[in-house]
Amino acid sequence: MSDYLDRYGRSKSICHRLPAQLKLWLTLVVVFVAVLVPIQYWPLHGMLVCTIFIGFSLARIPLAYVLRRLAIFLPMMLVLSVSMPLSQGFATGWEIMFSILAGSSISLLAGLWLVNVMPFQQLLATLRRLWIPDVLIALLAFMYRYIFVLWDELDKMRVARRARTYGKAGLWFRWKVSAQLIGMLLIRAMSRAERVHGAMCARGWDGRIRTLE
Amino acid sequence: MHIQDGLLSTEVCVATGALSLAAVGYSLHKLKASIADRIFPLTGMMAALIFAGQMVNFPLPFVPVSGHLVGGVMAAVLLGPWGGCVALTLVLLVQRFLFADGGLLTLGANVLHMAVIGSIGGYAVYSWTLRFVGSGTRGRLAAVGIASWLTVMASAALFCLEFRLSHSVQQFEFGRIFALMVSFHALIGIGEALISVAVINFIWQQRPDLFERPTTAAGPVARLGGALTAGLVVALAVGAFAAPFASSLPDGLEAVAERTGFDDAAISAWSAFDDYDAIPLGDWDGLSVSLAGVGGTLSVFLIAVIAGRALRQRSSPAEAHRE
Repeated sequence: MSDYLDRYGRSKSICHRLPAQLKLWLTLVVVFVAVLVPIQYWPLHGMLVCTIFIGFSLARIPLAYVLRRLAIFLPMMLVLSVSMPLSQGFATGWEIMFSILAGSSISLLAGLWLVNVMPFQQLLATLRRLWIPDVLIALLAFMYRYIFVLWDELDKMRVARRARTYGKAGLWFRWKVSAQLIGMLLIRAMSRAERVHGAMCARGWDGRIRTLE
Repeated sequence: MHIQDGLLSTEVCVATGALSLAAVGYSLHKLKASIADRIFPLTGMMAALIFAGQMVNFPLPFVPVSGHLVGGVMAAVLLGPWGGCVALTLVLLVQRFLFADGGLLTLGANVLHMAVIGSIGGYAVYSWTLRFVGSGTRGRLAAVGIASWLTVMASAALFCLEFRLSHSVQQFEFGRIFALMVSFHALIGIGEALISVAVINFIWQQRPDLFERPTTAAGPVARLGGALTAGLVVALAVGAFAAPFASSLPDGLEAVAERTGFDDAAISAWSAFDDYDAIPLGDWDGLSVSLAGVGGTLSVFLIAVIAGRALRQRSSPAEAHRE
């Protein structure tokens, strides 16, 4: 689970060697084109998808990983987009449905490619050179550092829950336990934040963000 | 809940983006003022927690899908409005870039709905409600529930408005989509209120000290902004209920659109189908309007019941350690 988001960010390939800024702009251009060009020009969208998949194979990202991410994402999008023709009448509804599906799928694939061809820290460093404020970048880096810690903790607590919930529990009970799961995780996270703050103070934290660049 | 690319027109995306940029910028400015304090690790940790907490599923009755926490009000109650807004923005950014959840152009709209309305609006409603119900256990839980439900409703109402401005007048029946969204989100709002109340109740039992000093409470600005935002959120939610019943509203909006020339600006990608009439689906309007009414009444009732149950649950704190 812990490397699920950007599993191939640290591997090596032609794509990983490209300059980070170039990759960021390429992705942004692809997403903007996919979203802004009307779906009537659908061959363009098809070409974009092909290009992205070529990018995946150049970066040596396994197809299975990409498809698995797509499989989690698509059903939700299908439900949402199918509700368009159902609620809005069919002719306009289909148009909107396909334009949402194409736009969001290409935007997912392009984003997936971007986070898998460079380490997240490098992406943050690139963003810092654009127009994103330092505090936000530093907070993002902090968050990225602890997401996986909290996920692992959550996994342990889930195992504990499974071990103790025998058979089918009632709906109200499961809600209560889930809420307590989040609450417990939050309490632990807050104590951890306070400990981390103590450690930061011990190392001279005065509110200024310093990086190694 | 996330708005995907393709739903809103570019103009609306730019407008919502500018609004949320201003709000998040101001929140960051507020955060910077006290950054040497523990607010920095707390905000980052809260963002990571909400991201992880959204993996916890809450099963729904009768349907094979499950819901999850949004967390705007929860973050605001523990971090204060500005810290909460920044934390939720971080969550949305990571969801956008690592999960591809929500669109890129619509990121501004998503931030506006979940971070700005969710945290700043949510905190305003929360602190406003606390004045009337007192800050005991009962009052706090009620305030959290009301704030969660209202922010979800306000976001839904705002989305309808944005959707309406994104598409030309002939294409959609505004009332229909409004009723659909509002009745649907009345139920989602109950879910969010229930989860938030349950989580806050648990934390309140275990660590009441976490509530003592919201880390970015902002003095007179918060109070003034609080009253303003509370009014806005309440008005939006009331509008969401009144709109399906007041059939004159779409006409009023159309008049506004024509007068301001927004009609021309809102030409969207699929304008080739402008002159095609949408197929009427029978008596949909009446059904959705009554659904909205039923949903609203039901949700207020349920919140009351849940608040009562949560209070009773408090009498057995030993159970809390079982997980």
